[in-house]
Formats: sequence, C-alpha cells, structure tokens
Amino acid sequence: MTTAEIMGEQAGVSGTARVWDLPIRLMHWALVLSIAVCWWTGMHNELEYHLYSGYAVLWIVLMRLYWGFAGSSTARFVNFVRGPRAVFAYACTLPRRDTPHVHGHNALGAISVLAMLGLVLAVVVLGLFAVDVDGLYSGPLSSYVSFRGGRHIAHLHYKWFNVLLWVIGLHLAAVVFYYIHKRHNLIFPMISGRRIAAAGGEVLEAAPLWRFLLGAVIASVLVWMVSIGFYF
Amino acid sequence: MLFLLFRRLAGAAFVLSIASSLQAAPSNKDLIKSRQDKLRDMGGALKAIDDELKKRSQDWDNTILPNAQTLKDRSSYLLNWFPKGSGPESGVKTYALPSVWQKADDFTRLGKTMQGEVAKLAQVAASKDAGALKTQVFALGKACKACHDDYRSPDYEKENDE
Repeated sequence: MTTAEIMGEQAGVSGTARVWDLPIRLMHWALVLSIAVCWWTGMHNELEYHLYSGYAVLWIVLMRLYWGFAGSSTARFVNFVRGPRAVFAYACTLPRRDTPHVHGHNALGAISVLAMLGLVLAVVVLGLFAVDVDGLYSGPLSSYVSFRGGRHIAHLHYKWFNVLLWVIGLHLAAVVFYYIHKRHNLIFPMISGRRIAAAGGEVLEAAPLWRFLLGAVIASVLVWMVSIGFYF
Repeated sequence: MLFLLFRRLAGAAFVLSIASSLQAAPSNKDLIKSRQDKLRDMGGALKAIDDELKKRSQDWDNTILPNAQTLKDRSSYLLNWFPKGSGPESGVKTYALPSVWQKADDFTRLGKTMQGEVAKLAQVAASKDAGALKTQVFALGKACKACHDDYRSPDYEKENDE
C-alpha cells in the first residue's frame, strides 16, 4: 500500500503532494527524542547524559533556524510567519470542518512553531550557564557566572522547561484537534513527508543536500565551541 | 542575714541567666542560614577551581590553593552543621531531608568520605599538577553528589537556592 493509498483512504481523496523535506522531518523527530532524553536525565540527576542531549537540542535548534532561512520552501519563516490579521482570519476558520489542508504551517501554527523554537532555545541557553550543585556537570558557559548566579539560572532552566512542556502539550492537543475535528492527519505527513492533495496544487521547493550539509558543519562547529566554553 | 544571702544568690542567678542566654545556641533559622552559606562557599570554591582548570594555564597561588584551603577548612566542620532539630521539622525552609537524621550513620560515612576527598584535593593542589587535580575535582564532585542524591531534596522541588 502506498502512502497515497493510505492517506487517500482516510480522507477519500486520491493524490499526494510533498510538504515536508527530509531534514525537517529528521529534525522534528530528533528534537522529540532529544527533549525526552533531556527531561528524563534532568529529573533523575543524570547530568552527564543531560549535557549530551542538551548539545543535541542546541544543534537541532541552530539547524532549524538556519533551515528557516536557507531550507526548503515550507521550512522558511518568510513563507509561513504571518501578521496578526492573517492569524486572526485563520483562527476564525478553526470551528469549520471543511477547510482545506494548508501547504506547510498555517498562520496559527506558525505562532506555535516560533513559541516552541524560542522556548527551546531559551531553555538550552539557560542550561549552558547553569551550575550543577555537585560541581560535576555544570553548563559549559557556567564559568562566566558566579556559583550563586549559576544556581539561580539552573532554577530558571527548570521553570522555563515547565513552560515549554505546556506549549508542547498545546501542540499535541492541536494535532489531536485537527485529527478528530477536521479529519486532518498531521502526524503521517511529518513521517512520510507527503500530505493528501489535489493534483496541480502547491509544490515543495526542496533545498539541495549540500546546503543542509553546510549548515550541519557550521552548527557542529558552533556547538563544539560552546561545549568547550570558548576556551581555545 | 539570711535575707542578704538570698539577695546575693538571686543576684548571682540573674547574672548567670543573662550570661547563659547570651551564649544560647543559635536559633534554627540562623543555624540553617549559616549552613547554607557555608555549603555555598564550598560549592563556590570547587567551582572556582574547576573554572580555573578550564584555562590554558592556572593561577595556583591566587586561585586554586586558597579555594582548596576554603574547602578543607569548611569540610572539617560540615558534620557539625546538622544538629538534631535543624531539619524540615524546624519549620525553617531547608533542603536537608529528614533522612539526614534517620540514617545518621550513612550520612556521617558519606561526610567522612567527602572529607577524605577534600584532603586529597588539597594535597594534589599543592603538587600543582592540573591533570591530577581535574581527576580529583571530579572525585570530590562525586562525593558531593553521593550525599545530595539521598539527603537533599532534588532541585526541581525548589523555588530557588536562597
């Protein structure tokens, strides 16, 4: 059974279109996994692995920001971030069940994307400066703050992670809402990269692989520099 | 005569009571605050050494050795900072768990292990060998963690460290 058949069967529409490129999907699920590892290791004081998973999150967020400017069409901020009027207009269509699929993020979802990206970045940056009370696995930039300051940051790191969890909860609730109320399966396209679509609709302008690799190298160098606290 | 003696005794008792109240044990609030300050000093001292070790070359005389001395001075008294009654039951905000007093033997054992690691750290610091000191900083951190894991409430249950 092909992707088209699976999705067509669900919605009674045949035909699919590419909507998410491979980097976006890999980054999405890698971020889910990394945040889960961060959460578990953080709560169980396994800070050695918390550091590694934190670097993974930092790398992914940097890559996502880069991809928001240099990536495929649906990944670019300029293509999905909309002003308040468009957001309001889209929000008004939420109760309706007959709205078509949006190619990529919708205007309201864009706020969710920005909020989650911003929060993840904020939590990671706080973590970089956080001081471990045992002095074993403090953040790589903790030498730039005092012990007391770094302990304060460690608590902020935890508090803002809790805010992030609520926003992630909202994101999951929205996915369930779309599935139940609008009969739009948003999960499968994030796995397969394809959504149901009528022929001749919008297409994905995929960015070349070399551009992703270039970003990956830059992000890796940045994360490495941060990890050694800029002590060269 | 008897009356005079009584007055003297009463006077002496009064003076004694004033004197003893001046020397009275500090309140739990002061005690816990002082304990937190001193533990924070130790955390700060270990951090200062760790931060210095990240640099290419170390300032042994002005940074590492004084902080190693702070750790040594503080650590030798650490087990005195937890008298009975200075736990959460005192009503003062503290992150020391009741297990400190319930499993006093194990707590003491971990405290002594920490003192041993601090003594070693001071020795290694005196030898000015950065590689060996890094290893010992890690060993001491593990001793901190061993006690914190079981006897200190986890970070996420706290408002702040203050």
